[in-house]
Parts: sequence; structure tokens; C-alpha cells
Amino acid sequence: MVVYSFFIFDRHCECIYIRQWLNNTPSVAQPLSRPVTASSVATVATSVAEKPAPGSRLSMAEQAKLVFGVIFSLRNMVKKLCGPEDSFLCYRTGHYKLHYYETLSSLRFVMLTDIRTESLKSSLHQIYVNLYVEYVVKNPLSPVEHAGGEGVNNELFELGIDGFVRTID
Amino acid sequence: MLRHRQLPVHSLQSSIIIIIVISPRTADTSSLGLLIGIIITTMVVYAVLILNKAGGLIYQRDFNPGLQKLSSNDYLILAGTFHGVHAITSQISPTNETSSSGLEVLESENFVMRCFQTLTGTKFLIFAEPRQQNLDVVVRRVYELYADYVMKNPFYQIEMPIRSEGFDRHLTSYIKPHQ
Repeated sequence: MVVYSFFIFDRHCECIYIRQWLNNTPSVAQPLSRPVTASSVATVATSVAEKPAPGSRLSMAEQAKLVFGVIFSLRNMVKKLCGPEDSFLCYRTGHYKLHYYETLSSLRFVMLTDIRTESLKSSLHQIYVNLYVEYVVKNPLSPVEHAGGEGVNNELFELGIDGFVRTID
Repeated sequence: MLRHRQLPVHSLQSSIIIIIVISPRTADTSSLGLLIGIIITTMVVYAVLILNKAGGLIYQRDFNPGLQKLSSNDYLILAGTFHGVHAITSQISPTNETSSSGLEVLESENFVMRCFQTLTGTKFLIFAEPRQQNLDVVVRRVYELYADYVMKNPFYQIEMPIRSEGFDRHLTSYIKPHQ
């Protein structure tokens, strides 16, 4: 199976972590910018995150915004159709599959894989419990709110994610 | 030694795997098929929705309890939202293929939804029980019924809500044949 990319969104609906894997070689984690506002467009446009990733039509930051829009709408749709205790797990298109896991604190983990992958709900839960809680929440130097991805981008977490994705393969 | 026999289930009925433990001295197991055959299975398609190419809801029908009852306004909102989401999902494809299809299968804890988009942009949504098999077949058959009893109806105005008794009747007899 192939893992394409991985996103974490915090409870303020902001993307705090993006990781992309192309052709099974991990790319460098890209620095994240604050949400684009009219006044900051000029500065953000020059940042690394806004440059289109090679081989992809959208930049990763733009893709993260679209992914968030989709999971937010689908989550609300599912909750409306089946009551508040139901949760959206994944969806599949002809070319990829998106897996979703939301913690009680509204932290959202999203992973894009190829379509043959089975449900990754437990894997995303493991990432939360074994990597996010261990290396981000328990890190005394990490801030409480991860504005712009601050605190999530640490080396142990990166290595952990890399190792974990290799074990899923 | 244990012998296992698995029932090939009907396409529209829930998958039930039946394992029968028999004595190793039993030579003839052919009669077991009859035993399995009498087990009654339940139908599990919750609802069918049809969206026109502009994202408007033109048909909505519940078949089995499982989804919450929504007002007709909520269904219209849901259809419009889904139409937008479907367009976005084809944009965020991480692969390099230029023509990416939109959302096809959506899974949640309590249901699975199959979406089929025709070449003209009409979308068929089938809501069913999780782990329901062969929803592709069901959705194609619903499309066939739509072509036969809606599109061939000379009084049907295209892109408008479907009010066709023949379509209703045939859809019911396909999805809930025993009731």
C-alpha cells in the first residue's frame, strides 16, 4: 500500500502538520504558514509552503485547505444523517482513499492512501496515542496551541511518523 | 476435524457467514445447504437519493429505518453540500492522473454510501448498512430503472423532481422484494 500524505488539524480548524510522501521517499516537512488573510497574502505567496509540490497540481497548503473543507462537510453530513454519535471514517474515489480520525478534543488526523488500503482508523489512533501525545503533548518546550505548526514539527515526532508509515506498508 | 461451509449470499442481502460444526463421521453434507437456505436475511438499503447535474435533489426515498428523518429542506441542503464536496474530492487527488473521479464510497460507523455519477452529471446515492456487498450492482440497476421509467416518460421534464409511479413501484420491488 502507498501512503501519499498526512495532515493534522487542530480544534481551531487550522492545519498544524503536513507530511507528504512521493514515490515512497519522504519529502522534507514543509514549514507552515498562518491562515492566509488579505494583508498577509504578499508574504505567504513567497513562502515555501505555497510553492506547488513537484508533480502535483495544487500546493500542499492549498490542498490542506481543500481537505479540511471536505472532512468538515462530510463529518457534519454524517452527523446529521445518523445522529451525533456516528463518525465519518473514510471515503474513496477512483484514485485515492482518505482516512479520518477525530479525537475528543477535536484534533483531526487525516491520511491519504491508495484505494486498496483497509481502514486506518486504529492506525491513526495509534499515531495520536503513541506519537502525538508522547512527543508533542508531553514535550515541555511545546506550546499549548500549535499556531503555524509550532511544536508539532519536532524531530522525534517526524521520525516516529516515518517509522510508523513504513510499518503500515 | 472441522468442516466449514459458507453460503454464497444474495447480492442485496446482508453478508452472513454461517459456520456449521458437524461430526467427522458425517459423510453426506449436501443437505446442509437446505438448512442454510431457510435462514431469513434482512434487506439493508436505507435510502436512495438522486441529484441532478446542478446539485439539486430530484428524488429522495427511505426504504429501511437506519438514517435519521430530515426535513425536505435539510435534504436539499445535504444534496447541495454533497455536490460541492464531490467536486472538491476530485481536485485533491494526490496522484498525477489528470482525470480524477470524485467521491465514490463514503464509510461511517453506521452506514456506507455509494455514489455513482453518470456521464451527464446526474448522481445516484445509495445509503446502506456497513459491510453491504455489491452496492455497485445496486446502483447500476437503479440507474437502469431511472433510464427506463423516468427518462422514457414523455411527461418528465428534465432536471425536475421525479414523480413517477412506475419508477417508485419498480424501485420498491427491486430493493424490498419480500415486503
